[in-house]
Amino acid sequence: MLHLRMDRRASDNVYLHKDFHNALNLAIQYLSDNFGEEGVKDYLRFFARNYYSILKADLMQRGLIALEEHYRKIYDLEGGDVTIERTEDPDELTITVRVCPAVEHIRKLGTPLAPNYEWTTSVVHETICEDTPWRAEFSNWDPQTGASIQRFVRKEAKK
Amino acid sequence: MISCTEFIPSYSLLFTWLEEKVDYDEVVRYWEYISGSGLKKLEAAIKEKGLFGCWEYWKHTLNEEAADFVREMHLNEDGTGYMISHMRYCPSMGRLLEFDHFAPYHAYCEHCNVLYPPLLEKYGIREGPRKLNAQRATCASSRRMDEPPAPEIAAAGWQAALKELENAEAEGITAWID
Repeated sequence: MLHLRMDRRASDNVYLHKDFHNALNLAIQYLSDNFGEEGVKDYLRFFARNYYSILKADLMQRGLIALEEHYRKIYDLEGGDVTIERTEDPDELTITVRVCPAVEHIRKLGTPLAPNYEWTTSVVHETICEDTPWRAEFSNWDPQTGASIQRFVRKEAKK
Repeated sequence: MISCTEFIPSYSLLFTWLEEKVDYDEVVRYWEYISGSGLKKLEAAIKEKGLFGCWEYWKHTLNEEAADFVREMHLNEDGTGYMISHMRYCPSMGRLLEFDHFAPYHAYCEHCNVLYPPLLEKYGIREGPRKLNAQRATCASSRRMDEPPAPEIAAAGWQAALKELENAEAEGITAWID
């Protein structure tokens, strides 16, 4: 008989399990199939309001630097082909994604991308910006690469 | 993008959302869907190498998930054998317990019971009773394969296990054969 014993501490490894991107993709597929588009949006809003409540509080306190730091940390870890830009305007943040590490990994696994997968970014951003001075914009989505342009800008003053 | 490092909160909150929208049975239906369509890598590993495929699959995922664990594999040349797992600190439940701005799904750990046994049993791998302490994010379990798989699967698993034995020291794995 052959015996193997592996003993690992959490600190032995970096926490980065990219197959979880596909697990989220499957969740979106399930919601889409069983609850429709409104179900997908409702769940993503529910997730964002709960999980990102601390990020949102930080956004309210420090402005867009909170989101900039959050996304720099994530893309530094995950890779992809992404540029995060600030202008002189403190109320503008642009994230240009040419290759999204999540979509890249899902494609590598050969799994079809769930319908409206991009809402995991756009709806989440819109939800984070609810009741804040900023709004989120999302454009140029390419489901093959996950490319998109994500902007956060100050809401126009009410007339 | 929701980072893969943020998936576990999204998973737990999905269970909460499904239960609030429908009921607990809907959460179980979702777990069954994942069991049927979300474990293709594990299934491919078992189809190719039998019980040793399980070792390779969890070795990969648990290291990527930075789990705190001990895992043992005891394999015979005919493909029969058993695995023992002691999760000292589950990377999923442990992470959820560390958040204090939302509550983990009340039956979060149950998903493992629904996800894995049906797939493993399909290939003759029997899951033993699981000792769980969710509040400490620990669990212990075992998996046995008592009937040999097809000879080519047993051979592929045994060859891969011998290779693991050769590389064990470099990978920090204790290994021996008797």
